[in-house]
Amino acid sequence: MFDYYNLEPLLMWIHSTMCSLMPEWLAFTIEGIAVGVFIMVMYAVLAIILIYMERKVCAAFQCRIGPDRVGGRGGLLQVPADVIKILTKEIISLKNSDKFLYGLAPFLVIMASILTFSCLPWNKGGEILHMNIGIFFVLAASSIGVLGILLAGWSSNSKYTLIGAVRSGAMIISYELSIGLSVLTMVILCGTMDIQEIVAYQENGWNIFKGHVPAVMAFIIYLIAGNAEANRAPFDLAEAEQELTAGYHTEYSGMHFGFFYLAEYLNLFITAGIAVTLFFGGWMPLHIAGLEGLNMAMDCIPGVIWFVGKTFFVVFLLMWIRWTFPRLRIDQVLILEWKYLMPLSLLVLMVMTVMKVFGLVF
Amino acid sequence: MSTFKDYISGYAFGVKSLLVGMRTSMKVFMQKKVTERYPENRHTTLYIPERHRAMLVMPKDENGENRCVACGLCQMACPNGTINITSETRETEDGKKKKVLLKYEYDLGACMFCQLCVNACPHDAIRFSNHFENAVFEREKLVMTLNEPSVSEASQQSAKLITKN
Amino acid sequence: MSADNIILIKPEELYNEASRLRYDAKEPMDYLRDIVGMDWGEEGLGALYYLESTSTGARRVLKVVAADRENPFGCAEHAFLPSVCSLWKTARIKEREVFDFFGIRFTGNPDMRRLFLREDWKGYPLRKDYDMDSNPLNMDNETNADVTEEYTLRPDGTIEGHENVVFSKEDFVVNIGPQHPSTHGVLRMRTSIDGENIRRIDPILGYIHRGIEKMNESLTYPQTLALTDRLDYLSAHQNRHALCMCIEQAAGIEISERAQYIRTIMDELQRIDSHLLFYSCLVMDMGGLTPFFYGFREREMILDIMEETTGGRLIQNYNVIGGVQADLHPDFRRKVKEFIKHLRSVIKDYHDIFTGNVIARQRLVGVGVLSREDAISLGATGGTGRASGWSNDVRKRHPYAMYGKVDFREITRTEGDSFARYMVRMDEIMESCHIIEQLVDNIPEGEFRVKTKAIIKLPEGNFSTSVESSRGEFGVMLESHGDKYPYRLHYRSTGLPLVDTMDTVCRGQKIADLIAIGGTLDFVIPDIDR
Repeated sequence: MFDYYNLEPLLMWIHSTMCSLMPEWLAFTIEGIAVGVFIMVMYAVLAIILIYMERKVCAAFQCRIGPDRVGGRGGLLQVPADVIKILTKEIISLKNSDKFLYGLAPFLVIMASILTFSCLPWNKGGEILHMNIGIFFVLAASSIGVLGILLAGWSSNSKYTLIGAVRSGAMIISYELSIGLSVLTMVILCGTMDIQEIVAYQENGWNIFKGHVPAVMAFIIYLIAGNAEANRAPFDLAEAEQELTAGYHTEYSGMHFGFFYLAEYLNLFITAGIAVTLFFGGWMPLHIAGLEGLNMAMDCIPGVIWFVGKTFFVVFLLMWIRWTFPRLRIDQVLILEWKYLMPLSLLVLMVMTVMKVFGLVF
Repeated sequence: MSTFKDYISGYAFGVKSLLVGMRTSMKVFMQKKVTERYPENRHTTLYIPERHRAMLVMPKDENGENRCVACGLCQMACPNGTINITSETRETEDGKKKKVLLKYEYDLGACMFCQLCVNACPHDAIRFSNHFENAVFEREKLVMTLNEPSVSEASQQSAKLITKN
Repeated sequence: MSADNIILIKPEELYNEASRLRYDAKEPMDYLRDIVGMDWGEEGLGALYYLESTSTGARRVLKVVAADRENPFGCAEHAFLPSVCSLWKTARIKEREVFDFFGIRFTGNPDMRRLFLREDWKGYPLRKDYDMDSNPLNMDNETNADVTEEYTLRPDGTIEGHENVVFSKEDFVVNIGPQHPSTHGVLRMRTSIDGENIRRIDPILGYIHRGIEKMNESLTYPQTLALTDRLDYLSAHQNRHALCMCIEQAAGIEISERAQYIRTIMDELQRIDSHLLFYSCLVMDMGGLTPFFYGFREREMILDIMEETTGGRLIQNYNVIGGVQADLHPDFRRKVKEFIKHLRSVIKDYHDIFTGNVIARQRLVGVGVLSREDAISLGATGGTGRASGWSNDVRKRHPYAMYGKVDFREITRTEGDSFARYMVRMDEIMESCHIIEQLVDNIPEGEFRVKTKAIIKLPEGNFSTSVESSRGEFGVMLESHGDKYPYRLHYRSTGLPLVDTMDTVCRGQKIADLIAIGGTLDFVIPDIDR
């Protein structure tokens, strides 16, 4: 009865129809291209929505009203207009820079971001990359991004970018530990690394309720470390505009810069999406035991809406954090990780394991 | 042990201060916004104080006569050479010689709104108007002849419009 | 008050005399307010040294004339004076300024580069015989030498020059500025770093140098007033107040009590305005963009109140010789009281979101410590000095306008770190509100401006006044030769010593601290460059 919005039968039907019309390899190729285009379009559209949201939310935090000129009183067309503008801008090539690496860096960043993006569980059966070590793959793929940042900083041959890149490298490598540990905590709770199965595990209650105290702790750790991974304030010291003008992407222009910008916003979404998958039941509707009527009503809302809705809620949380706090200094960022977050996440991991073994989780 | 205690209390203080900060920012998130929508509000909420100095004007009476006697004190008082007065000496009917103003040129682009010219004027022939929308596309247009009726009247009219609010 | 009491000293005795005054047992003149270069024409080039004792508040002025215009010691083609930078650290940069404008070289100062002008500038512009056409507009890039000259006086009276290295080849030098988001203007700091740690900072000034002191020499006294608002635009009222006071004292003009009240209230409003901007900018420098807007939201209200009365928001042109430009707007009193009430209600938000925040504390507490001795020696006045425990408030030490009659606390702290500098200014906001509240209801009736002569001529002599501007002691040093133009009108910049402080406090700190320290020192570039 829950499965009427399962996308899997539909996709299987499309595939079998395609196969009946053409050889299987061709069908696969066409499907692959279609999915690829779909991801790209979704990526771009989401970025536009997120940038718009960030502008409006940040404006509201700062007693302003935000964009209200282009596209009616809501300023809805401001971001598309900016996208068009950035597309028309010249990509400046620098003297004395490593041209190949300089050109490669933004693509590495955006590739890492798209790879991670493809793993998000949009709906039941609506996952683009499905593998039984899904969450592990997400962690691995997202680490490629830091390589792009390091390359960008190094190849620009500028002092500001170099400092930004080194900061970013030190920070992201540190925070990957906390992210890994908090993800591991939830993997222990669910007993699987498969993203779809993690979501399926939460059918009768989201992890944040099932795992109660350690899960909440793990969520907070994940939120902080994820914020750092996404290079967002208060951890934006890699680009720290007040210190390094724009950090690692100081020397980039046009769409090269656009890629960094795009990846930053999508990483925000991905961080939130993974958080939702791990802690808030992914595409699972909200179920409260005992209230059958409510549960039925909740089931009528498609999973993709649940997922996107929850993700945007977490995105808002991240924006709230970003627009409240001042930036940390590099040594403080590392102290926070190694002296506070890491011990805490180890503790949480241990508590979770003990609770799981003794059946203290719901 | 005390270091461990410090560690824990530092933890607690930090978390608490962050939450206080987030509560404050959420409070402002809910508050009324202060942005002014400029071109739209020019006839509603925009308030330009009467004393705001935006450009020099030469008030005229009903007959279009100004009070300037072409004494040149304002020109001398100006630190920037913004004002340029052209006058000639005419003989009045009763035989007295009188300076008559021909052209009162004022360069808005060079003016720094120090009000020395207005202070220097013994006849209150010039004053500052709060008509602040003076952008033009060519520099030459910033040099205005204040005693010409058209220039001055236009600026005074819009100045009134704004002060009304 | 009459003209300054000036003690004339021979150049060869300057150092000994200065040293005696500096270490005087009873009244050590440990604060060098300013060195004012002078060109007395026939009499020769020279300088005035404005000294003050921090313990008693006594002030002295030393006058030194390098007798022969070109050959003071009969040895070289330039004028030389002995440097006093081993007595007062601030002399180092002040002497560079004098060298830049007058070509007087100081023997013993390790750094004799130009300060404001380009290194390839020809001639010394504040000399009276300077040829105004000698420097056509130069469109080449300026290159900065990594070495600087030092002159020493040999025992036989001859001058010897040698080079000092500013940055060696091993230094990793990052340019912070002149186009940089957190230098608050066109300030350039060549910063040598070791990883994230700062090894040395060399501020390069003059990107917004407008030659205001040179311009003043050809302007009448009322005209000079027009330029003071453009020095430190966040202390526009106080700057102009100082110059008006100086001219009024010299000309013997007595201004009405009403004008005094108005001036005091305006000064304090301006101080709140400046400190709110300080809060905003500091928070933004540290990456918190939201509180930035809180400060601007309230500052906007002050600007609206001031605009209603003065007609300007940044450049206000309000103080004039003999009083103020216009009477208070009828709504002024009500609006000021409403504003203070509002400010008191929202200031908690400021502290909640930033002051108490653990990140802000971590970033500010213990960062960039300036000791009291250094603060005095470097002449770091204002909130910066008070945070180091040096009570240097001109309003208390040398009361002017209504400050002698109102009750207020001088905020001092002892830590000397960035957090102390920040808290001093935040507390001063409340103290300024307190001052305004005492005055605003009691403004006496009377004329706001007394009539002055159409052409103001000052008697011969040296006159000086100082006020507490938003960021320190702003001084006006005026020499009149009885004309309607000043012979020389020098402003004591509040920001120049503060920028000079950067190198001392930033060494060993991180790049991020440089920004935070720069924010808490709170300098305004047009005031430095003049």
